[in-house]
Amino acid sequence: MTQATQSTQSRQPATPSASGPRKLSDKPRWETPRMEDVSKEVIAQPYIRFT
Amino acid sequence: MPGTEALTGGGQLWRLKGPLLVAWQMTRDCDLACLHCCTGSAPGKRLPDELDAAESQRLAGELIANEIPYVLLCGGEPLVVPHFLAVAMRLGRAGVQLKIETNGQRLDAALLQELAKLPIRSVQVSLDGDTPEVYARQRPGASLEKAHAACRAVRAAGLPLEITFAPTRFNIHEAAAVIERARSLGAFRFNTGALMRIGTAARLWQRLQPSAQQYREFRGLLERTAVAMAKEPLELCYTPFSIADALRRSIVDPPATLLVLPNGWVKVAGALPQICADLRRDTLQDAWTRYRTAWCDAAMVDTVRHAATDEARQADANAWQTDTVVAYN
Repeated sequence: MTQATQSTQSRQPATPSASGPRKLSDKPRWETPRMEDVSKEVIAQPYIRFT
Repeated sequence: MPGTEALTGGGQLWRLKGPLLVAWQMTRDCDLACLHCCTGSAPGKRLPDELDAAESQRLAGELIANEIPYVLLCGGEPLVVPHFLAVAMRLGRAGVQLKIETNGQRLDAALLQELAKLPIRSVQVSLDGDTPEVYARQRPGASLEKAHAACRAVRAAGLPLEITFAPTRFNIHEAAAVIERARSLGAFRFNTGALMRIGTAARLWQRLQPSAQQYREFRGLLERTAVAMAKEPLELCYTPFSIADALRRSIVDPPATLLVLPNGWVKVAGALPQICADLRRDTLQDAWTRYRTAWCDAAMVDTVRHAATDEARQADANAWQTDTVVAYN
C-alpha cells in the first residue's frame, strides 16, 4: 500500500471552515489510482457486493 | 462538529487523483424481477434517459484517460444492454480491469469467449438459492439451471467466478448449500451480508426481512464456515455486514469509489439518494472533485450518520436528489 509511504500531514485535509466545504485545490500532489490499492475494503462495500 | 471524522480521515480519498473503482450501473432494465433487488430493476424498467451507446463510449474513454484501474459493469442486468460488450471491450483493451455482475440467465460461451480476451477480475453471478423452488421464488421467472450453467461456463472460459447470495426469509436456510455450491463450482469468493433495504427490497421489506433469529444463525454459519474454509480457495466476504456498518465506516474513511447511475449521475453513497455529479455535463475529474467535496460537507456527513442509525432512511436511496448536483458546484 502506498499509503504507508505518505506522511500523515500530506494525507489529511486542512481543517474545515465553518462556512463551507474544504477546498481541495491546494493539495500538493495527487497519486494515480492503482489496482494494487483496490483493497479488500473497497471490494467489500455492501452496495458493491449486491448491486 | 458534524463531519469531523470524514474531514480528518487519512484514507485513499484524499490522496488519489481519481477513484480506484467505478461501479457503473449501465441500465435499470433487467430480464428478471427479483424480490430483493436493490436497484428496483425489472423488465421494462429502463430509464428514459440512460446513456446511449455513444455516450457510454465517451464515458469509457474518460475512464481510460483518467487511468481508472477497476471498473464494475452492473445494472439492472448489464447483459441486456446492446452496447455492453463494446464498452467492456473498449475498457478491457485499454487495460482497465473489469468485474461483470450478472444474473447468469444469458451468459453463454460465445460471450464468455470474448470476455476471456479481456482483463476480467471477476464475473459475479447471483445464486439466491440452491433448489429451483427457492431460487425461483426470489427470482421469479429465472432458471437455476441456467445460472449454474453460466457459472460452469465462466470457469470453463478460464475466468474468475464470484457468487453473491442475498438473504431473505425465503432463502436464508439454503445459505450453507449455496456456499457449498460456490465451492464446488470453483468460485474464488462468496459474497453476502444483510439484506439491503433499498429498491424493491424496501417495498417488500416486511415480507422479505429475515428474522433476528434467522440472522443470528446465518452469522453463526458464516463465522464457522469462514474458519473451516480458511485454507480453501473460496473466500467468504460478509463484512461490513450491513449498509449501516458500511456507512459508519465511510464516515471515518470514505471509499475511493464512484457509483455511476444509468443516466450518468454520480451518487455520494449507494445507500443514499444524494447526487454529486452528472457525467453528461461534468468531466470525470469534476465528478471526483465533487464527490470528495461532498464527503467534506458537514451536512452530508450528518445525513450519512442519520442513515446509519435509522435503516428506514435507506429506503429512499433510489429517489435520487438532483438538487445536490448544484450544491457541490
